[in-house]
Amino acid sequence: MIKNYIKIAWRNLLKYKGYSAINIFGLALGMAVTLMIGLWVVDELNYNSYYKSRNRIAQVYQNIEYNGEVDTDNAIPRPLEFALREEFNDKFEDISMASWKGERFMKVDASTLVMNGYSVQPEFTDIIDLKFISGQSEVLNNKNSLLLSKSAATRLFGDKDPIGKMLTVDNENQMIVAGVFEDIPKGNDFSGLDYLMPWSLYADREWIKNASNQWGNDSFQMFVKLADDVKLSEVSGLIATLKKDQDPEQAKYNPEFFLWPIDSWHLYTSFENGKQSGGPIENVWLFSIIGFVVLALACINFMNLSTARSEKRAMEVGIRKAIGSSKNQLIKQFLSESFLVVIFAFILAVGLVLLFLSPFNELSNKTIHFPWESLSFWATTLIFIVITALLSGAYPALYLSSFRPVKVIKGTFKTGKMAALPRKVLVVTQFSVSIALIIGTLIVMSQIEFSKNRPIGYKTSGLIQIPLRGVSFWGKTDVMRNAFMASGAVTEMASSSSPSTEVWSTRSGFSWPGKPQDFQADFSYSMVSYEYVETLGLNVISGRGFSRAYPSDSAAVLINESAARFMNMQDPVGQTLASGKIGVDYTEYKIIGVVEDVIAQSPYSPIKQAVYAFDKYQSASYWNLRLNQNQSVQQNLATIEEVYKNHFPDSPFSFDFVDQEYAKKFAEEERIASLAKIFTLLAMLISCLGLFGLASFVAEQRTKEIGVRKVLGASVANLWLLLSKDFVSLVVVALLIASPIAFYLMHQWIQKFAYRADISLWIFIVAAVGALSLTLLTISFQAIKAAITNPVKSLRTE
Amino acid sequence: MLLELDHIYKWVTTGGRRTFLLNDLSLKVEEGEFISIMGPSGSGKSTLLNVIGMLDGFQEGEYKFLDETIHNMKEKHRSKLYKEYIGFVFQQYHLIDELTVYENIETPLLYKKVKSAERKALVGDMLDRFNIVGKKDLFPNQLSGGQQQLVGIARALISKPKLILADEPTGNLNSKQSDEIMQLFKQLNEEDGVTIIQATHSESNAAYASKTINLLDGSISKS
Repeated sequence: MIKNYIKIAWRNLLKYKGYSAINIFGLALGMAVTLMIGLWVVDELNYNSYYKSRNRIAQVYQNIEYNGEVDTDNAIPRPLEFALREEFNDKFEDISMASWKGERFMKVDASTLVMNGYSVQPEFTDIIDLKFISGQSEVLNNKNSLLLSKSAATRLFGDKDPIGKMLTVDNENQMIVAGVFEDIPKGNDFSGLDYLMPWSLYADREWIKNASNQWGNDSFQMFVKLADDVKLSEVSGLIATLKKDQDPEQAKYNPEFFLWPIDSWHLYTSFENGKQSGGPIENVWLFSIIGFVVLALACINFMNLSTARSEKRAMEVGIRKAIGSSKNQLIKQFLSESFLVVIFAFILAVGLVLLFLSPFNELSNKTIHFPWESLSFWATTLIFIVITALLSGAYPALYLSSFRPVKVIKGTFKTGKMAALPRKVLVVTQFSVSIALIIGTLIVMSQIEFSKNRPIGYKTSGLIQIPLRGVSFWGKTDVMRNAFMASGAVTEMASSSSPSTEVWSTRSGFSWPGKPQDFQADFSYSMVSYEYVETLGLNVISGRGFSRAYPSDSAAVLINESAARFMNMQDPVGQTLASGKIGVDYTEYKIIGVVEDVIAQSPYSPIKQAVYAFDKYQSASYWNLRLNQNQSVQQNLATIEEVYKNHFPDSPFSFDFVDQEYAKKFAEEERIASLAKIFTLLAMLISCLGLFGLASFVAEQRTKEIGVRKVLGASVANLWLLLSKDFVSLVVVALLIASPIAFYLMHQWIQKFAYRADISLWIFIVAAVGALSLTLLTISFQAIKAAITNPVKSLRTE
Repeated sequence: MLLELDHIYKWVTTGGRRTFLLNDLSLKVEEGEFISIMGPSGSGKSTLLNVIGMLDGFQEGEYKFLDETIHNMKEKHRSKLYKEYIGFVFQQYHLIDELTVYENIETPLLYKKVKSAERKALVGDMLDRFNIVGKKDLFPNQLSGGQQQLVGIARALISKPKLILADEPTGNLNSKQSDEIMQLFKQLNEEDGVTIIQATHSESNAAYASKTINLLDGSISKS
């Protein structure tokens, strides 16, 4: 029997090739989207699956309150380590302090490479289940040894055995390679880890030694592995108030430590007022929903085309019933047809996924492989096929199998006006979804465009920044400025302790005249050299920038407009900021200028109050260079590299264009936008494909009517209008449904940006015009084809 | 007694008024009878056949088939009875276009869940008997009208029904083909004992039957 069902299904597919192609191709598109999104979602959910004991790995986070606003951060003070080891050692299997991720120059013989990694305590390797190829974690007890990843070792030493080899780090420390570990694969935090250096060496620095008893100095990271059978929430509770308890000074910030498990690092990254508030998990949800919606759109095509053709198949149903078929047997037959279509569609979908997997990986920044060997994938796929087949086949099967045989066979069967209603509802649903997606995508794009056009506060183009690693660059700013400017490639240069596109440090504890009691102030803070204002092209609103003409400028600061507002200063220039305790480290800074706000954090957020202090020691992290516009960029860069190499032959030359760095702030939103664009396009394509099928069906069904009308003198335009207006009115209804829903949802979405575009009317107009013209384009082909057919032909066939 | 209709009424309501399709119709059919139903268009011939064939219902009256009451029987049971005992032959043949001659004849057996080997034997016999072995792999649109109707009858006979209902079986055929089909019916009736009820316009066709019923406005006018 099954064989028979499939045979008939197969012949039906062949007989109506056009419909079958639309069905199979449409479903394949939908399934390919769902498959692709499914693979992406699984990949996202399996982030950090490399770590065997992932349910016990966590990082210590901290909530700190400023003026009633809670800030969540992973920076912790150094004494926390000692307190945890002393009081709660039994709760942890391992505890390790860690530096921030840092790039370091590693020099072997004459060549120097940039490596990424951390300074950590020996326990760190056990926390992240590091797989040693040689060596062991204990070598990190030795200040002069380090661990390298396999790939880093190969880059540095080629095929030679790296163990025991010497290398120079940042032109400063001689280190011995004491171990090699397997590279951590992509799709995990810590992937791309090149080296691990001993914490003990890092902690030798003066300021870190000093930090040993400073509970207020949140400058470090801490990773832990819990002991077996210890609950994370329990430990979080135990350590929460440590800071307050140990240092009553800090109590005013109400600091609370907690453990943040590795499972949450990737997908749950946002905190709002001390509470977890989503993160990339929202995208996982969003795209899961889109995946199912696109699949549903394709299933709707199948339902519509099957039921639309019901009149053609009604006769067959009637005969089958008359010669003894039960309703169940008919349902089975129609379901086998949909199964066959779905299986073909699935094969095509797999082909599409394979074809588009690598561009998709590029777009989504992933390395997803097609899981040929995964049993669970195929099991899920099977369920997926069954669900799709049932979803698309159940309604037509029930609808078709319930025809009354007598009517059909007598030839009095005509599907009435009501029969087309569910079909219309489904078309409206399809187009509502597609139009809502169009509107949503346009709003996302307009928000990005709007934020991109926001004034940045300085000229990012023609500006490069050179990252400086190690002490060998300290004190060289003035020397290098002279050298660069003499070369003619650079018109101005200044140093800074943070890149201009980011805020690397914040500073609290300033006081100023008129500051309210108990007002906690936190400023973004960067130390800069002379000519910083000139190099970046900052607009000075009042006062002036740092100048060599005023020796007292070494104790001066610049502030931005937001800071002036924040401190409620009408006339800030000439006023003083103070920090430190009187008698200990009290310092006064004179405000010499106010500069325009600069976007250094999220382009969607308000700009934070900022203080630019003068960098007396020339200990900057970046040199900012304004390129000479009268020369080509290539020429400038070549000259700059030459000058650099003359002064620092052992340090590799690297630089970033500031405008490109700035553009990276939009990368995440742009990635979402381009994915959304693709899915919207596919949704629209699938909907139009279905419409095309329906239009051809209607044209065919009304062949006789069209013939008669033509004989009576209707023009092609009349007939085109006649055939098009039904569909157009459906799309208009869809527009009316989709617009308010899309407006509501996107209005919610855009609230998360402090700096946001208005949702303007033109977006809805563009969506409406786009949807209507696409609809007309789709159905006109069929309508015009029917309208220009010779009426004699169509009437004769009756 | 094969079947018995007792005071059957069937009507449709249009604009608040009832139009009777069958009006107080009573009929008894014995096993082995060959009955022709005659009457003008719209007299209720097809309706009567559909009611007898359980394809259609009625509003009032009683219908017994092999001493079982049909009208209040469950759909499933009725369908079983119907599959077992009744075969249909249509004026427009109503073969399934997508199936070959062989498959068309086989289909009722599939619905009765007959085993594959047995199906082969039964269909083979039927093809032999109707001399259409050579055409078994052709599709309906490759056959002449007479041949299509032969296939239609073969399909109706394959499940060995007690009763064949034929609604103007020769309506679309020329007189030569028509005679052949009628001969076949007579032969089935006499040799195999199959009960046949046919609706027809043609006096000459009606003459093949052992009994003729005249229908007018849904009632039997003369027996």
